Amino acid sequence: MALVTLWISILVVLLCGGPSLVGTESGDANSSASPTAAGLHCQNCPQLTLKVDFSTSIIEHEYIVVFNGYFTARARSHFIASALRSSTALDWHIVPRDNPASDYPSDFEVVQIRQAARESLLSLQDHPYIKRVTPQRKVFRSLNFFDDSPCNDTRWTQKWQSSRPLRRTSLSLGSGFWHATGRHSSRRLLRAIPRHVAQILQADVLWQMGHTGSGVKVAVFDTGLSEKHPHFKNVKERTNWTNEKTLDDGLGHGTFVAGVIASMRECQGFAPDSELHIFRVFTNNQVSYTSWFLDAFNYAILKKMDVLNLSIGGPDFMDHPFVDKVWELTANRVIMVSAIGNDGPLYGTLNNPADQMDVIGVGGIDFEDNIARFSSRGMTTWELPGGYGRLKPDIVTYGSGVRGSGMKEGCRSLSGTSVASPVVAGAVTLLASTVLNRELVNPASMKQALIASARRLPGVNMFEQGHGKLDLLRAYQVLNSYQPQASLSPSYIDLSECPYMWPYCSQPIYYGGMPTIVNVTILNGMGVTGRIVDKPIWQPYLPQNGDHIDVAVSYSPILWPWAGYLAISISVAKKAASWEGIAQGHVMVTVASPAENDSQVGGELTSTVKLPVKVKIVPTPPRSKRVLWDQYHNLRYPPGYFPRDNLRMKNDPLDWNGDHIHTNFRDMYQHLRSMGYFVEVLGSPITCFDASQYGTLLMVDSEEEYFPEEIIKLRRDVENGLSVIVFSDWYNTSVMRKVKFYDENTRQWWMPDTGGANVPALNDLVSVWGMAFSDGLYEGDFTMADHDMYYASGCSIALFPDDGIVIAQTLKDQGLEVLKQETAVVDNVPILGLYQTPSEGGGRIALYGDSNCIDDSHRQKDCFWLLDALLQFTAYGMTPPSLSHSKNRMAPPTSTERPLPERLEGNHLYRYSKVLEAYLGDPKPRPLPACPHLSWAKPQPLNETAPSNLWKHQKLLSVDTDKVTLPNMRAYRPQVRPLSPGESGAWDIPGGIMPGRYNQDVGQTIPVFAFLGAMVVLAFFVVQLTKVRSKPKRRKPRVKRPLFLQQSPQTHTGRTPTV
Amino acid sequence: MVLRRLLRKRWVLGVVFGLSLIYFLTSTLKQEERTIRDRTLLQARDPEHRIAWKVRFSLGNSSRQITQCRNSIQGQALLTDELGYVCERKDLLVNGCCNVNAPSSRQYMCKSCLLNGCCSVYEHCVSCCLQPDKQLLLERFLNRAAEGFQNLFTAVEDHFELCLAKCRTSSQSVQHENTYRNPQAKYCYGESPPELLPI
Repeated sequence: MALVTLWISILVVLLCGGPSLVGTESGDANSSASPTAAGLHCQNCPQLTLKVDFSTSIIEHEYIVVFNGYFTARARSHFIASALRSSTALDWHIVPRDNPASDYPSDFEVVQIRQAARESLLSLQDHPYIKRVTPQRKVFRSLNFFDDSPCNDTRWTQKWQSSRPLRRTSLSLGSGFWHATGRHSSRRLLRAIPRHVAQILQADVLWQMGHTGSGVKVAVFDTGLSEKHPHFKNVKERTNWTNEKTLDDGLGHGTFVAGVIASMRECQGFAPDSELHIFRVFTNNQVSYTSWFLDAFNYAILKKMDVLNLSIGGPDFMDHPFVDKVWELTANRVIMVSAIGNDGPLYGTLNNPADQMDVIGVGGIDFEDNIARFSSRGMTTWELPGGYGRLKPDIVTYGSGVRGSGMKEGCRSLSGTSVASPVVAGAVTLLASTVLNRELVNPASMKQALIASARRLPGVNMFEQGHGKLDLLRAYQVLNSYQPQASLSPSYIDLSECPYMWPYCSQPIYYGGMPTIVNVTILNGMGVTGRIVDKPIWQPYLPQNGDHIDVAVSYSPILWPWAGYLAISISVAKKAASWEGIAQGHVMVTVASPAENDSQVGGELTSTVKLPVKVKIVPTPPRSKRVLWDQYHNLRYPPGYFPRDNLRMKNDPLDWNGDHIHTNFRDMYQHLRSMGYFVEVLGSPITCFDASQYGTLLMVDSEEEYFPEEIIKLRRDVENGLSVIVFSDWYNTSVMRKVKFYDENTRQWWMPDTGGANVPALNDLVSVWGMAFSDGLYEGDFTMADHDMYYASGCSIALFPDDGIVIAQTLKDQGLEVLKQETAVVDNVPILGLYQTPSEGGGRIALYGDSNCIDDSHRQKDCFWLLDALLQFTAYGMTPPSLSHSKNRMAPPTSTERPLPERLEGNHLYRYSKVLEAYLGDPKPRPLPACPHLSWAKPQPLNETAPSNLWKHQKLLSVDTDKVTLPNMRAYRPQVRPLSPGESGAWDIPGGIMPGRYNQDVGQTIPVFAFLGAMVVLAFFVVQLTKVRSKPKRRKPRVKRPLFLQQSPQTHTGRTPTV
Repeated sequence: MVLRRLLRKRWVLGVVFGLSLIYFLTSTLKQEERTIRDRTLLQARDPEHRIAWKVRFSLGNSSRQITQCRNSIQGQALLTDELGYVCERKDLLVNGCCNVNAPSSRQYMCKSCLLNGCCSVYEHCVSCCLQPDKQLLLERFLNRAAEGFQNLFTAVEDHFELCLAKCRTSSQSVQHENTYRNPQAKYCYGESPPELLPI
C-alpha cells in the first residue's frame, strides 16, 4: 500500500512539475501574485472566466548570472570559473539548461552555489563581464475557471490576449454571413448554382484542344492535402513546414484550393494534369509564421515551381523578410497568385503579398458579377503619406459560393478571396500549359495577358475591380500571340471617367491645388530586371489643351522583379487658373531589359509604351471651399502597435487602413464632395503648404508628432485666417499599459506607442490658443442638436479659452471600465469646442474629442452633420444656433482637474515616426525635412488629336488576338436551379484566426491525456491490490507457500521509500 | 521457477509498473517538449538525427569544359554562374555563363562577406560559397543541419544548388519573425545565423 501512495505522489509531483517548468521559461520573475483575468467567450457574452494566478518563489542556492553580452556556453563557464576562483566557494556548478537555445550564445547562466554563497556572489558580481547576479525564482501559475454570469457585455481583458489577429490569415469565409451577397433573399434561392467554376470560365474549350495543365508545376501553400484524395491524380509531393506532424489537411481549406486548381472529377478544377506540390504552411489552428514561409519558399524555388497559389494574406507589408522573399520568388520565375483579402467593403484593406507589384492579386465577385462584399479594396497604403497608392486588385473572379473538393471526398462550396485566388491560379496553370514556347511565360507576361484580356465590370471603380473579370479564353488568345514587351497598369489616365477612375473623377483639378498623383505600375515582360531609358517624355496634345497642365514623372530606377512604378503628378498650369475644360496628352516611356537569348553580349530588348492622360480642369474654387486633409501626421500601417480608435472593437486591435480620405475616410470624403467642398491631401509637413489658399485644415486622429517649426507656422497661419478642425481620440497611459498583449507571431510584448491619437503632441500644437485635451477616456450615446451620436472611446477637452463655445455631454468613464471594470457616469464632459481667434481676420478653431464617427472602420453612427456644422463655422464664421444655443453649452474649462496626458514612458513611436529620432535619453525631433519639390517634365507638344476612346485602345502592343482561333466556341449558359432546402451555399471554417490558441491545443491536451491514462492504469492497480489485501483467504489455495509471500511484502515495505 | 517466483513478488511488479510509468510519462513529456521545440524548427538540432544529403561537390576544376551554365537567375544587376563567377547581367553569355573576360567578372568573390560567412550581396555569397575550400564547412553544416531544413537540403544535388539554397534568407535570418537579425549581412553560407542586431 505504501508503494502505491509513493507512486501516486511521484506521479503528482511529475505532473505538477511539468506546467511549472514551462512557467519558468517565460515568467518574468518580477511580479509576485499578480492576478490577471482572461475570458473564454461565446460570442459577445462571456460565461466562463479563466483566472490565471501567478506567484514566484526563490529557489535556494540557485542564482542567475547575467553577462554583459552574448557568449558561448564555454566562455560563460570560463568566466564563472575565473570569478569564483578567488572566493572560497568550492561546491558550485552550472545548472545545465537543455533547450534548443543552448547551442547559441546566451547572456545568462544559472549557477548552483551551496557553500559560502555570500562571498562568491560578491566575487561573481565583481567580474568585468558579469552584469548582475540574482536569485533564481520559480514561477507558479494556476488556472481556474469560474462562472461569470450575469452577462456584462464588456470584458476588456480578454481581447488583447489574442495576438495580432490581423496577421497572415487564410482567406476564406465562414458560412451564413457572406452567403447573402445578393440583397434580396428571394433572389438568393434562384441564384445560379454553377456546376463547375472551370466550366463557367470555359476551360472546357481549352481541354478539348488538349490542354490540361500537363507539365506545369503548381505549388499550393495552404493547410495540406490528404494522401489518397480521390480527386487528384498528379500529386507530386507533399511537404510539411509547420510544427504539426502531419501532411494531411485537417481544415479542408487546402483541399478545396488544390481542388479548384487540379481536381479531375466531380467538381472539376482547371488543370487536372498539372503537377501538384502541396506545401503545408498553415496548421489546423490557422497558425503560421514568417519563418515557416521563408523555408518553404526556398524549397519552392529549388524545385522550380511555375505557379504558386497563396490563399493567405495579412496586412503586414512591413514584414521585410517576407516581402523580400516574395520578390525573390517571382525573380526566379515563379508566378505568384494571391488573394487580396476578406476585409471589404472597407477601403484600405488590401492584404500582403497580393498587394505587391510582382504578384497577381485576386479579388472576388459573385456569379452575378457584383464585387463580393468581403473582397478587400482601396489603394495600397505603402506609399503614404507623400505618394499615392497603387491600383489593386489586379483582377477579379468568382469567389462566392464556388464549388470545390471536400476534405475527404465529394464537393462543397466556399466563399472568400481564397477561393478566387485558386481560380486564377488554376487558369494560369492551364494557360501556361497552352504556350509552346515556355520561355515566354513569366510572372510579368502572365499578368499582362490576364489584365489585358480582363473584362471590365460596369459601375465599379478600379480600386475594387482592378482591370476587371478574368476571361480565360481571351487570355489564352493574348498569351499565345504574346511578344515580350512592357505595359502599364492602369494603361491610361482619364481623371474625368466615372466611376471607373474613382476617386480621381470625383474631384476636378484646378490651379494651385496639390498635384494629383497617379501611381502607375510598369510590368516588364522582357526580363526580370529592366530600366527606363532616358527619361519619360510628356507630350501634350495642343488641340486638346494639353498645354494647360504640367506633368512631373518619377519612376523606379530599376524595374525589379518584373515591375516598377511610374508616378505621374499632374498640376494645372498658371494660365488655366480660371479656365474650365478638358486637357489631354500622353507620357511616353521606353523600357529596356538585357536580352538573354541574344547572341551578342550586352544586347537589349526595348519596348516603348504610351500612357494617355486626360484631365478635367475647373477654375480655382474660393478659399472657404477648400479643405486640406493632413495626411502627414497620420501613420499608415507600421510594424508597431497603434491601437484602434474604438476600444470596443476587440477582434481588430490595430489601426491599419492608412487613415486617408480614399481609404477608411472615404465616406467622409464623399460627403464633403457632395457638400461642395474641395478636399486636398497634405502629404508633407505643415510648413510645406500655402495657407492662404485653404479655408480649413482638417486633422483627424493624428498619431505623429509635430516639428517645432510646424507649430510656429500653424500659429501664424491661423492668425492670417486659416481655420483648423481637430478630431482627436483617446490617450491614457494606464489604459495603454492595460491593452498591451503578447503576440504569438512575433513572440514579444506589444505595448501601444500611442493611444487612439497622439494627444500629447496635439496638445503641444493647440496649446498656443490656450486649449488642451485631457487624458480622460469616455464612451456613450447622446443626442446633440437632434442628432443621435455615439462617442466611441474619445477624450474630453481639458482647457479652452473663455470666449469659446463648449458643448458638454453625459458620458460613461470608459477608462475606469477598462482599468477596474467599474461603470461610472460622468456629467458635463466637454467634448466639443468652437473658438474664434481674436486677431483681425484670424482663423477659427474647432476641437472634437472623438474621430470614430467620421471613420469608416467600426463606425456605428456617423456625424457628418457635425463636420458640416464645424466647416460652416471654420469656413464662413457661422456658428450653427443648434450648437451656440444648445442646452448642453457650458462654461469653458479653464483649470485642469485632471492632469494633461503625458507621453507614455518608453514608447517606441520614434521607430515609426517621420518626426522623431532616437536620441540619448528622450527621442528628439529630426531636422525639418525639405519640402518635396517636383521637377516638371519639359513638354514636347504634339499637334495631333487624341484618340477618342482611351481604354479601348490596345493595352498590349503587337498582340493580334484574331490570329489565335478557338475551336467550336460556344456560348455557355450557367444552369439555374433553386437551392434545395438541405443544401447550404457556404461552408464553415470553425472559429476565427486565433494564433494564440495553438499553445493550448498542442501543449496542453497531450499531458491531460497522459494524466488521464496514467490515472486509469493507477486506479486499476489500486483496485487490484486492495482486492488482494481484503481477501487474503482466496489467495491461500492458489499460493503454494503462503508464509513466504505474506512476509515478503512486509520486509520490503520498510525499504521502498528510500529507493 | 525462480523467475516465476520473482515475478509474483509485489515489489517486482511495482518496480516494473513504475518503470513503465516513468517511461510513459517521460515519452509524453518529451513529445510535448518536441512540439515546443518545433516552433523554432531550425534552432533545434537532434544529435541522433542526420539528414541524408547527397551533394556531389565539384572539385573546383576550372579546366572542366562547360558548354551550358546554370546561374543565379534572380539578381537585379549581378549574377553568379555555377563556376563561381560573378558578373553583371550585360556580361552574361548566351549559354548562361559569365563572360570571364569582362572587366567586372570575378571568380569566388567574397567582397561583401563578413568573417562569420554572412554577406550583404546574395551573388557574392553564392560565389564565395562555391570556393572549393568551403566544402568542409558545408559538409559540416549538412551533417548538423536541423530537421526543419531536411526537405530543402536532401533535395539539393550539387555544390551549386547547395550554395544557391544556403545563401537564401531563411528562418534563421529573422528575429521576432518579421525583422532580419542583421539587415545588412543577411545572406549566409556559413554555419551560424546572421549576427543579431538590436532592433
